This record gives sequence, structure tokens and C-alpha cells, in this order.
Amino acid sequence: MAESLLAALVLAPGLAFSGLGLAWLAGYTPHERLIARLTAAVYSFCVVAAAAGWAIGSNTAAVRTPVWYWFQAGSYHFEISLLADRLSWPLIELTAVLVGLTGVFSVRYLHRDRGYFRFFLLLHLFAFAALLTLAAGTFDLLAAGWELVGVSSVLLIAFFDERREPVRNAVRLFAYYRVSGLGLLLAIYLLHRLEHTTEAAKLFRGPWPDDAALMSASAATLVGLLLVMAAAGKAAQFPFSGWLPRAMEGPTPSSAIFYGAISVHLGAYLLLRAEPVLRASGVAAWTCTVVGLLTAALATLVHRASVDAKTSLAYAGMAQLGIIFAEIGLGFPRLALVHVMGHAVVRTLQFLRAPSMLHDYHRVHAAAGGELGRTGAHYHHLLPERFRLALYRAALERGYLDAWLSRYVTGPVLSFGEALESWETGERQGTAGEPSRLAGEPEG
Amino acid sequence: MVSHAAHLLPAQGPIGVFIHHNTLHAFQDRTFEQAVVEAGRIFGAEPYMPESAYRAALRSGRIQDADLGRVLSSEGASGALWRVLLAPGLRELPPETIEWEIEENGLLERFRDDLPTAAREALCGEPPRALFDFWIERQAPAEPLVRSPGRPRDGVLAATGKDLDDAVNPLLIKLAGAYLDQGLAYWPMPNREEGFWRSAMTLLAQPGTALPELRALPRWIKRWSPLDAEGAIEAALQALGAENCEELIQQELLALPGWAGLMRRLEDDPGLAPHEPVPARLMDFLAVRLVLTVAGVEVATGGPGAWRMPAGAAPSRAADLARAARYFDAAQLMGLSPRTLAQWSEPEVEEFRSAVDQFSGGERRRVWHAAYEWRHARQILVPLRSHAVQGPLPEPERVAAQVFFCIDEREESIRRHLEEADPEIETFGAAGFFGVAMNYRGIDDAHGVSLCPVVIEPRHAVHEQAAAGHESADGRRRELRRMWARIARESFVSSRTLVRGWLGTTLLGLFSLFPLAARVLSPRRYAQWMDWLNGSVLPEPRTELAFMRAGEAGHLAAEGLLTGFTLTEQVDRVASVLSPAGLRKRMARLVVVLGHGSASLNNPHESAHDCGACGGRRGGPNARIFAAMANHPGVRAGLAERGITIPDGTWFVGGYHDTCSDGIDLYDLDYVPDTHRGDLDRVRASLDLARAASANERARRFEACSSSRDTAEGLRHVQERAEHLAEPRPEYGHCTNSVCFVGRRQLTRGIFLDRRAFLASYDATEDPDDSDLARILGAVIPVCAGISLEYYFSFVDNERYGCGTKLPHNVTGLVGVMNGYESDLRTGLPWQMVEIHEPVRILFVVETEPARVLATIHANPALKEFLENRWIRLASVDPADATAIHYYAGGGIWERIEGEDEPLRRSPSSIDWYLGRMEHLPLARIQPRLRNAA
Repeated sequence: MAESLLAALVLAPGLAFSGLGLAWLAGYTPHERLIARLTAAVYSFCVVAAAAGWAIGSNTAAVRTPVWYWFQAGSYHFEISLLADRLSWPLIELTAVLVGLTGVFSVRYLHRDRGYFRFFLLLHLFAFAALLTLAAGTFDLLAAGWELVGVSSVLLIAFFDERREPVRNAVRLFAYYRVSGLGLLLAIYLLHRLEHTTEAAKLFRGPWPDDAALMSASAATLVGLLLVMAAAGKAAQFPFSGWLPRAMEGPTPSSAIFYGAISVHLGAYLLLRAEPVLRASGVAAWTCTVVGLLTAALATLVHRASVDAKTSLAYAGMAQLGIIFAEIGLGFPRLALVHVMGHAVVRTLQFLRAPSMLHDYHRVHAAAGGELGRTGAHYHHLLPERFRLALYRAALERGYLDAWLSRYVTGPVLSFGEALESWETGERQGTAGEPSRLAGEPEG
Repeated sequence: MVSHAAHLLPAQGPIGVFIHHNTLHAFQDRTFEQAVVEAGRIFGAEPYMPESAYRAALRSGRIQDADLGRVLSSEGASGALWRVLLAPGLRELPPETIEWEIEENGLLERFRDDLPTAAREALCGEPPRALFDFWIERQAPAEPLVRSPGRPRDGVLAATGKDLDDAVNPLLIKLAGAYLDQGLAYWPMPNREEGFWRSAMTLLAQPGTALPELRALPRWIKRWSPLDAEGAIEAALQALGAENCEELIQQELLALPGWAGLMRRLEDDPGLAPHEPVPARLMDFLAVRLVLTVAGVEVATGGPGAWRMPAGAAPSRAADLARAARYFDAAQLMGLSPRTLAQWSEPEVEEFRSAVDQFSGGERRRVWHAAYEWRHARQILVPLRSHAVQGPLPEPERVAAQVFFCIDEREESIRRHLEEADPEIETFGAAGFFGVAMNYRGIDDAHGVSLCPVVIEPRHAVHEQAAAGHESADGRRRELRRMWARIARESFVSSRTLVRGWLGTTLLGLFSLFPLAARVLSPRRYAQWMDWLNGSVLPEPRTELAFMRAGEAGHLAAEGLLTGFTLTEQVDRVASVLSPAGLRKRMARLVVVLGHGSASLNNPHESAHDCGACGGRRGGPNARIFAAMANHPGVRAGLAERGITIPDGTWFVGGYHDTCSDGIDLYDLDYVPDTHRGDLDRVRASLDLARAASANERARRFEACSSSRDTAEGLRHVQERAEHLAEPRPEYGHCTNSVCFVGRRQLTRGIFLDRRAFLASYDATEDPDDSDLARILGAVIPVCAGISLEYYFSFVDNERYGCGTKLPHNVTGLVGVMNGYESDLRTGLPWQMVEIHEPVRILFVVETEPARVLATIHANPALKEFLENRWIRLASVDPADATAIHYYAGGGIWERIEGEDEPLRRSPSSIDWYLGRMEHLPLARIQPRLRNAA
């Protein structure tokens, strides 16, 4: 019973996505009202099904659906099986509730927008992908959900595609996701090589969070580090933090559900799921902790100088995600789970209230009698002026992550590419031709 | 030089107080038609709607053939050619796609299929390609493209493909945003009191890593930061080797017009900063921008002066093809076959070409727009005349009560419904500050704010305070509100900090689910519940307004304001409303005065829905104080000396109308004498009916509400809108504005005006010297024209003049909104506010003789500019004979309105007229007694 509920609730948004998508391909764009009803129906079902499944399944350690095989290549089988245990049930329920509420919110928010249909199409895709990630029984399947979350996220940032910045920032996020996503793929590859399976149930013994990884310390270190890399990309942790404020280009509800609520927390989920691996490797656990603390420090610094509603929320959220990483690295998975849930709900509400910020601020300001306590005064007293100015500049320029990235990573890569290109052009033109170089271009 | 460029910047201040104004205010000394073209060139914006919109209007009957004919004949234009160039119209065949049109889309394979019959017959059997070839051979040589010198960014972009703005703008936006922030950031920017230039230079001189595109920045900062802003600008212009400094400065400022405009606005009026005044200067902003630009140019091109635009490119073949295609298209429309053309002499060909060129897209749209507005004027004036011909609706035998509303067009529906609900209630319209210009501080407010039109500087301060015996309740209320504010503030701040945020989100985070779910799933219930909670916890002290000042001199309060008003001043204020409205005698037993405002969520532009006559704020206190003044025996005595008699049996009540939720609050009801209880109950009952009916009428425009005869449903719907966190259109605001009537209610009573008309009460028969008229027009023309023109421009080019769709808006620094992550500050109105607007210049219909209104307007230079430069339209109705309606054609010429081309339909009630329809509705005569009379 619980198994079928689990499968049904994961599939429901997927069916909504493919139904809407096929209808659109066939040349029929459903009316707003139909989409609204569909959204309400799908997520009401998901919320109820998740609650029921959780209640029924709570007496067993984990609910597992039978294994299916998607495809086979050589001796490799892509297994499809879903799993829900004490870790996944709360997060599945949370996802269903928050996507549902955001969906209802968006029905009003996007009313009459020309991208209404596209938004809901992508919202269903995201919900399906997120639920798949949370309920995946194998890391192979988890990776599929993981990437679909990324795709829907990129497409929603580029939602206002008539302007340049959203599209460019979407591409930037795509690049971040690709690089960090490499970690997940390599980790899966290693698991297949070393452990011959990526099925959570076979990798880890015992009920979460008291399960244990049955692998050598060196394997655990390798896999653990790669997973931390993947998770850091999704959760905008150091050094992948730069994309998070840029992701605020989409409509407000998509910012809420992706960067306030669910998508950024999937990084934490991945590490919670693979927590035994971290426990088996001190290096990986410490890396996770250090990455988290570094991010928390950086994000809280940047947040202090943010003057717009969404950037401020982005960095405030990033700081808490940093702490969550540290909690996981230090071995407090239960605490981390509670933190994830509380944080997701708080940020969702704050994001949805962001457009009403002026209204709210003025109300509080008036009620306080015009005297809102000054924030940040103790730093003012504690730090010497020179240091304070330098710190403020660092905060304002988002910790210089963009500058470093383009100086030490993208810059050199691009120059290398340009050098290759001019070498190739030169080769083709023969030795007589000077490599063509644009006037005044800086030396690589 | 800078100030010359500065006047092109948007004049919008911090968004918390939104004042509607003419977007092209800087161009108001030119005619409307010149201004839209000139501004369009400078800002890269559209002057009118696209031609396709006008063509659609022609198809739907919104523009009629006769209108086009009228406009063209008044132009003395080459009639037939221009007519077909308008409709079916030239096709858009730009150079970018012309080759594709020819090769892939069969442009030369066949003639258009929407040709006029005569043209089609003339071209029957002719080869299209031959016609095109004719024009290829016979077109004049193209003129070389003139490229503007541009700014450094354009030169660098053309030379290297690198966009300097990508490096300069983000940094400048971060700096300007931090500098102007009004309290959102946890750390305010250091050294703000030293000005933007100095504080930005100090910061950028700190150790840090600049983007590689700006890596030359530290050197330039070292060199220039000892200078002041003016010196740095001069040095930078020199380094850039600018030839035309004025042009360059203008273009650099217009690269981020929103931020630059706010700097300038706060420089002119530092008091606009809502919480933290900062010494903003446009010079500083420009200086920082130029330093960044210099550094960027140097990195990109090797030297700060090496950014010249490459010479203009030779006209391309595609441009030649596109020009030929234009003549080809025009010749088809005229039915000119290649054979006919072959017999034309060179001058004839030349003449045809220049006629086509002359009637360019801009000119065509100007003509379209004139026709569009002419039809609009007829849609108003012709039925108005028919209404007068049929005679005004019967006046009630006795007047039970009189209700004053703001002239706002959003109050038109509730006035009409109030009169429908109780025909013995008479309504009036007056500018919603009701003559009381004041600096007001309510009991729940932190500071005083100006409640009057922005052009007036209030000299009087009024405080709301607890009445005697209510001080303790007041103290408790303050204490509780402070406590709530502390908690709200603390949870806002701490949920975002590191350690407190950790504890908060972990321990209490999940509890947020309750408000989240309640506010999203059932916003109205949530609001009701919060109201109930507030009401049961917060004591409501009885309050009164301290507005009496003894003695003529009075004493000056700290801010240089007079506290309250003397008796004479009060008499002046009451008279200034009653006298122009023609209400000097015949007062009813109860006179209600309603100010208005609008409260909504998800709406950084909330203030734009408040009362314009109260400076973008809420006008309840003005109505309340007006009523209190008019009830004062001393004031009544003073009024009597001026010929305004308020009988002893008359009582004034002030109130407030929320145009978003359609709630009405009446003030000081416990002071109403017992003898007037019955009158009060009757008016309140009627107001309740009227506000529900009006809400229901508003709801017809919203797709989310199903239309119903049950007005309570409409009321519930608009109440929900006001409280909905997700609602991007809490109300449609001034979206439907198009007309302003200045005259007696008799003129418009019983006409369904579809919430599209401002209604100012004015009685010309009581105003022999036109002084009241001068006062009224002096107030309503700038305000209504500002609203109308802001909507016009935000509609015709929502990206450039407006602020685009609301959905990605991001509130920044409590001063404005950006698009998404980091963009220019967006000014103007969002698409959701203007989407159902009909972009027409407002039509003033003044009930007085043409000569009188013209003389009055011409006597005031500002009004004359509005009228004679055609930023507004004007019509007059003869007060003695309402069927004599004249339309002002400009240059002192009036045209009498005749004809029956816009019928005036009748309906027994408003709801019968609008039910189930969403579009703009024509005027209708609402005759409630139709049923009885039969």
C-alpha cells in the first residue's frame, strides 16, 4: 500500500508535466483555469498520499518499491526503484506541501502572463524531479532527478527571455550545475566500480540515520569528496556560491520554491542520504564542515551589505545552508534534517512576502514609533575603521567570488581557447599569415 | 551641462510615495506630437501604439473610416495614397528579414491578398517581380548612415565586441543601491554623509579584487580620488578625449536612467528620502561612472581615449531591397502596374517616392492616433449631447443627504451606485484633500506627512491625539504596538543572521507553515482573523484632531509649521470646497465627506493607488478635519458672512473609502447629534449598498471573478484581492481614466461613465468672475493630465517608459524596484497596472461657455502650455443649454459637436448594463424609474 502511494505521488506531477507537454505539442494550450485545477488536484493528492504513506510506512524502516529495469548496457542495468525512509518521508511531505502552496500562489501571481503555461509546465517537471530525487532508491536514479531539477531551474531563471540578463544568468547557473554535477556522476561511476551497486539499501546497512557504509576508508573519501562537490554546487556553497543571487531573475514564486525551499536543500539531502560515507571518511566529513562554515561566514558577510529583498534572502539562506552542511559534516544528521525543514518553510514565506516588503516595513516602522533599532552597531564598535571598510567592500562585491572566478578560472580557460583558435587559424592560413588578433585585446 | 542632461532623467522619487506626473515633463514646452518623436529618439522609445493595434481598432470599429478621412483631410494630405498606406497599410519589411521574405516567403511571387478591390483589378495578371524590379531600378541612391558619436561603451563594443556596461553597471548599481538604501541592509554603507563620490572612492580604494575588466581601476582611483567630483569629471572627460562632452554626459547618465534619476531627485529634494536622508548628488554619480568607464576603456582598448566609433558602414544591399520593397508595397496598394508606371515621368516617380517616404511609420501612427482620439471624444461627447436632448433625469423632490467624494475616476461608480440606491442622495466631487493642506501625524504614525497636492507646501501641522480620558488606552496601545514592532523586526532581522537565524529556523521554522498556508489558501479569512486579533488586543482610544489655533499669529512648531488653523483659515478651507461645488445654500441635514486611499499587498506601487490630491497618500484625515471644521459654530458664522449658509440642522461627517477593498469608515460618529441618527443610518445603509455594487462593477474587469448579480460576491472578491500576497493587480487604479468632467452633477447624473471619468463639481452659474473655475482648473488639469500622460507613456512603451512586468520586480533599498537580480531602477508603471488602458490624452469637459474656459486657461501659463501644446484635450458644455457642446480644435477654434454616430443606450440600472461584459463600455443612460414609468 505504502509502496503504491509512494510511486503514485512521485508519478503524479510527472504525469501532469507530460500531459500538459503532449497537449502543447499537439497544438493545444490549456486554459489557465484548467491548469489551476490540475495543479491543485495533483498537489492535494501528493500531500495526502505522502501523509498516508508516511503513516503506513512508519512502522517499517523503509518503504521500497519493486525494482524495474529501464535499460541495460553490457552488464550494467539501470535500476528504477523507489525508497522512502525516515529521511525521505518528511522531505517528500515538505516538498508536496510547499510546491502545492507555491502552485496556488502562482495561479494568482502569473495570471494573464504570457508564460503562464510554461511556468506550470516547468513547476510540474520540477516537482517530479525533486520527488524523484528524494525517493530514489539508487544513486543512478537520484542523478536523473537531480539533473531534471537543474534543467527546470535553468529554464525558469530564463523565464523572461525577452531580456538579456535572465538568459545570461541562466546560462551561468547551467555552467555551475554542469561543473558540480560532474561530482555526482563520478561518484556514481566510482560506486559502480568499487561497490558494484549504487542502491542505497545495499550500500548502507541499517535504518537511517544509524546506518553504516560498507566500504573502505579510501573509497569513502573519494566518493565522499565528490558528493560534497555535487552537493555544494546545488546548495550554492563555497566556491560555487556566485550563482545564487543571479538566480533571482525568474518570477518570485519560482525563486521561492527553488532557492528558498526545495532545490537548494537537495544538496543537503544528498549528503544526508550518503551520511554513512562521510562518517566513514574523516577527510570528506571535514571538507563538508569546512565548506559549510566558510560559506556561512562568507554569506553572512555579504548578506549584511545586501540592499535588495531577493539578494538579501539569497545570502541569508546560503548562510543557513552552510550551517546545515557543517551539521552534517560534524555528524548531527537529525538536527540537520530539522534545520532543513524549518529553514525551507521560513524562506518560502519570506520569498513570497518579498514584493510586499515596503508595505510590511512601513507598518513595523510606524508601530515602532519611527525608531527601528540600528543593526550592525556592535561591528561598528568592535572593528577598526580600515578593517571595517575593507570588509564592507568585500561584502558589497559579494566576497569577490565573481572576480576570482573570471580571473583564475574562466579567464584562463577562455584565453587558452582563444590561443588555440588563433593557433589553428594561423596554421590554416599557412606560416605567412600572422595570427589574427583584435586590436587592443589584452594579452592572455 | 550636467543639469541640462539631468532634466531628461525620470522624475520619480522613492517608490513609497508615488506621484503621477507626465513622463515627458521635460518636453512639455513642445507640442505633444514633436515631443513623443524627439523623446522617442533620445530614449529609444515608441511614440504611439504599434500600427497593428490601430489597424485592429479600425477592424473592431473603435476607429471609423470617417475618422481617418477627417484627420487626413485636415492635414490636406494626398488623400488616396495616405489612406491605403494606413489601411490595409504598408507591411513591415525591415532590411534584416527582407532577403528571407524574398527568397523563402515568396514576397515577389504574388501580390498581397488584402489589396483594395480596385487595386487588385488593376494589377490582375501583372507580374509582381516586374513591379519590384521597376523600383529597384528607379530608387534614389541611399543616403549614407550617420552614426552618432556614442559613448565609450558603444565604441568599445563595436571595436572589440566587449560590453563595458557588463563590468561598469553591476558595480555602479551595487554602490548606488548601498548608498541610497533606506534601512534594508544590515550594515549601512560607511561614510555616506560625505557624499556618494567620496564614500565610493574610499571604498574602492580598499584592498580587494576588481573584475578583470576593471583591473586598471585602482590606478585611476589613486590618481583621481583626491579631486572632487567636478574635478574628476573634467579629468575623465579629458582622458576619454570627448569631443562633445554634453552628448557624452547625457548618454552616460541615460545608461542607467533610474539610478541617476533618483540621485538627482534626492539632490533636489532630500526630504523625499523616507527614512535616512543622504546627501545625494548627480555629479557624484556621474563622476563615479566616468572613473569606472575610463578604467574599463583602458583595459579593453589599451588606452582611455581609444574608443572612437568606427566610421559608418556603407548602406547594405538589404537596405536597398527593403526600400524598394516599400515602394513595391505602396504601388500595389495603389494598384499601379509596372506598365502604368513605365509611362510615368521621372518627376512623377520621384513625387510618388517622396510621398511614400514622407508618410513614414511615425507619421502614420500620428494620424492613426489622432483618429483614435477623435473617435474617443465622439464616444463621450455625442452621447452626452443625446442625454441632454432627452433631458436630465428628474431631480429628487427633497435631498436626504449630500456626499462629497474625491474627483478620482475610481469614485465615479460608487457615486452612481449611491444615487441609484437612494435617489434622494446628492453627490459632489472635490479634490480629495478637501482644501485642507496640512502636515498630518496620526495616532499610529511615527512622523507627520504632507497631505496635499505635491505642488503645495503645507504650512500647518495637525496631530491626532487621544481625547481626554483616553490617554491610558492610548499609552497601552502605543506600548503594545511597540512590542509587536520589536517582535516583528527582531524576527525579520534575526531570521537572516547567522546564529540567531540558526536557532530561529531550527526551533521555530516549521511554525511558519501556519501563516504561510493561511495567507496563500485563504487570504481574506486570514486578514479577518488578524483584524479580530488586533481589535481584541489593541485598545482603541477615542481620538481627536488638534487643529484649532487661537490668535492669528499662533505659535510655530519645531519644523517651522503652524500648529492647526485659525478660525479664518478654517473658513477659507471650508469655503474653498463648498463654493466651487455650488453648495452655498440648500444643504441637506447630513453631509458626508469621503477621502480615499488604497491598501494592498504584493504591490511596491501601492502608493500609486492612493489619492493624488493628497500627494500619493491616504485622504481620510483631510475629510475628517474638513467635517470637524464645518461643524464648528464659529466657522459656520464666518461662512455665513461669505454667503455660504450652513443651517443649524446640518451635520458634517468625515470618512474614508478604500478603493481596493471598497471598505468605508466614517469618523467621529459618537459626536453625531441624536437627532441625526436616522439620517446617518439611512446614509450608511445606502453607502453599504453602493460600495458592494461598486465592487461588483469593478470585479467585471477581473477574469478571476465570475460575474454575478449578487453584489456581495463582488465585494468579497475585491476584499480578497486587497489581502492576497500573490495578487499583482489588487485594483486597476487609474487604468481606465480618459475624461474629466468639470461641472454640475446634473450634467452627468444617470450616465454610466464606466469609471473612466474624473468628476469635479463646479457651478458656472454661481461663478460670475470665473475665479472658482481658475482655482479648480489650476488643480485638476495638472493632476489629471499627469495621471493620464503617465498611463499613456507607460502603456505605449511599457519597457522604456514603464517598468515592465511586475513579476520579476525586486524591492531595493526601500526606494524602488529592480528587474530581478541587478538592474536599473525601474520607473513608471508596471504592465499589470496599465494593461487594459486606452492610451488617449485626457479630455476635459468643462461646463461653461467656450470663451470663458479658454480665457481662464490662457490666463495661467502652465495650463496654457498643457492645452496649446496638446497634452490635453478640451470640450465645453454650455451651462444654459447642455446640448451645445464644443470641442477645442486648437488655435482658438471650437467645433460644435453634432451627429448621432454614437447612440446613447438606456438601461434600467448599472448592473443590467455591465453584467457579463469585460470590455470598455459605451456611455449609457441609467434610468431607474424606467420600469415604473412604463
